[in-house]
Amino acid sequence: MKWLDGWFESGARRIAQRTGRRSAIARIGAALAGSALVLPVLPFDRSAHAQGHGGAGKAAKAKTDTDCEYWRYCALDGFLCTCCGGTVSQCPPGTETSKVTWVGTCRSSVDGKDYLISYNDCCGVTTCGRCLCNFNEGERPGYRMGVFNDINWCMANTSTMYHCTVAAVVGVGATKSG
Amino acid sequence: MNERLGAVRALGAGFAIATACAAATAGAQIPPEQVSTRSLPPAGNARLYVTDVAINHIVDGKILIVDASKSAYLGTVSTAMAGQTTLAPDRSEIYVATTYFTKLNRGERQDQVDVYDAATLALKAEITIPPKHAQALPYRGTLRTSSDGRWLFVQNATPSTSVSIVDLKARKFVAEVPLPGCWIILPVASAPNRFATLCGDGTMETVTIDAEGKPGQINRSARFFDPDADPLFVSSEAIGDRYHFVSFRGNVVVANVGTDPPTFESPWPLVAPADAKGGWRPGGYQPMTLHAASGRLYVGMHPRGREGSHKEPAQEIWAFDLATRKRVARAPGSMSIALAASREGPPRVFTLDGSKPGIVVYDASRGLKIASRMDGVGETPTQLEVH
Repeated sequence: MKWLDGWFESGARRIAQRTGRRSAIARIGAALAGSALVLPVLPFDRSAHAQGHGGAGKAAKAKTDTDCEYWRYCALDGFLCTCCGGTVSQCPPGTETSKVTWVGTCRSSVDGKDYLISYNDCCGVTTCGRCLCNFNEGERPGYRMGVFNDINWCMANTSTMYHCTVAAVVGVGATKSG
Repeated sequence: MNERLGAVRALGAGFAIATACAAATAGAQIPPEQVSTRSLPPAGNARLYVTDVAINHIVDGKILIVDASKSAYLGTVSTAMAGQTTLAPDRSEIYVATTYFTKLNRGERQDQVDVYDAATLALKAEITIPPKHAQALPYRGTLRTSSDGRWLFVQNATPSTSVSIVDLKARKFVAEVPLPGCWIILPVASAPNRFATLCGDGTMETVTIDAEGKPGQINRSARFFDPDADPLFVSSEAIGDRYHFVSFRGNVVVANVGTDPPTFESPWPLVAPADAKGGWRPGGYQPMTLHAASGRLYVGMHPRGREGSHKEPAQEIWAFDLATRKRVARAPGSMSIALAASREGPPRVFTLDGSKPGIVVYDASRGLKIASRMDGVGETPTQLEVH
């Protein structure tokens, strides 16, 4: 793509967008070398990710559950509850666990197995606003509602206010496609 | 409180007198001004409606209204919690289907359609609907009018899916039609009493309503796409009754909803064999748009596409001639996540740069040269509509 050279400044890194789910867009890490970032960008190198989320590389293993690239978050689009007073499988104090959920299948960077992940939202308290992540492996539009992440999964709770999202292992997953 | 208010008024009066005296003695000075509300300028060809869920405070979304030809901010419409938005076919009204809680984040859930006058941005009507509206990211198709503007169709999700039908003349909810496993509303231009929807088994369903808006016949099409191997983006556009979709892997699929059940044309690929190595795929939240008058399709594309890359912003915008199915232009993508072509006037492609966020104007009459851009448009917008 030589002709693109004139568009992207020399040394620019192309970084993937981190949009939030129901969220949206948001933080694209279009971090041009030498430029000051005025947005709360969550840098993420798209080319590293091309091998698959979580993956088995060294970088992937170093990710913790407060990083967007942590293996369980391969289809998580929202705010990480681990950044909001909860844990990877516990909602923050004062919130309610969502009654319905969407699922993803993510490959563990530790044992290389595929796990079925339940992305419960935590509900009832105003939006957390920290650690917005957006990964979409196996995600499909609303005609496949169970794997759709651009909707508020607090939708069936008494208060549908979305706060953050957990990523609990609920079983061993089927082999991933794609 | 009253005392304080009185003091402020007295202060204001004092200023007025002082200003008047000064004006009398000093000649050319700025005269005192009466604060009022500005009128919305008449809509031009580049008035855009940008729907923003505002994910960091999802209870308080909005539509930002701009004139992209002047990079001018025109006004704002409140959309509350995960509000879905659409415009009347004649662009006279703006519709918002949304949720209000009586205590902001809790209390009683009230779902309603707010009707705004697109010429003044004044609230015209509020219509109560079942508390089921899909609290989704704003996507084209989660709220649509019938093609004649008579009815409003609201996508619901509990997460079981259904559609609420609203009578826009009587300003009331009429009926709900369950459409399990189906999602998105596709009005039929030639049959205002019918809409189609995409279903998770790779088919389309159509719903026909009667003169009172009550749902009647539901028909199901043949299977025409594979939701596992090559799903369709739901954001689509029609020329007449021919809805154009793009798929995750870069195929164009045309559904003719003028027949009931719908029929389908042979898919064709966006990526020619010579370009296949780059792994280019469509991406974003509103990844394609049509310019009907010139027969052009515009798609936001990213290289090295893979499972899960379908929401990536555009690294390039590709233009296709619909008649020849050939690519006729490519341009820098401006991190676009939503595309919308002009409906009247000079051909333009407006896009939403998700990274700023901002609006980018491409001149489609000059090989997609970037004509202008306007940054600082909202927080986390996903949907772009043209007046």
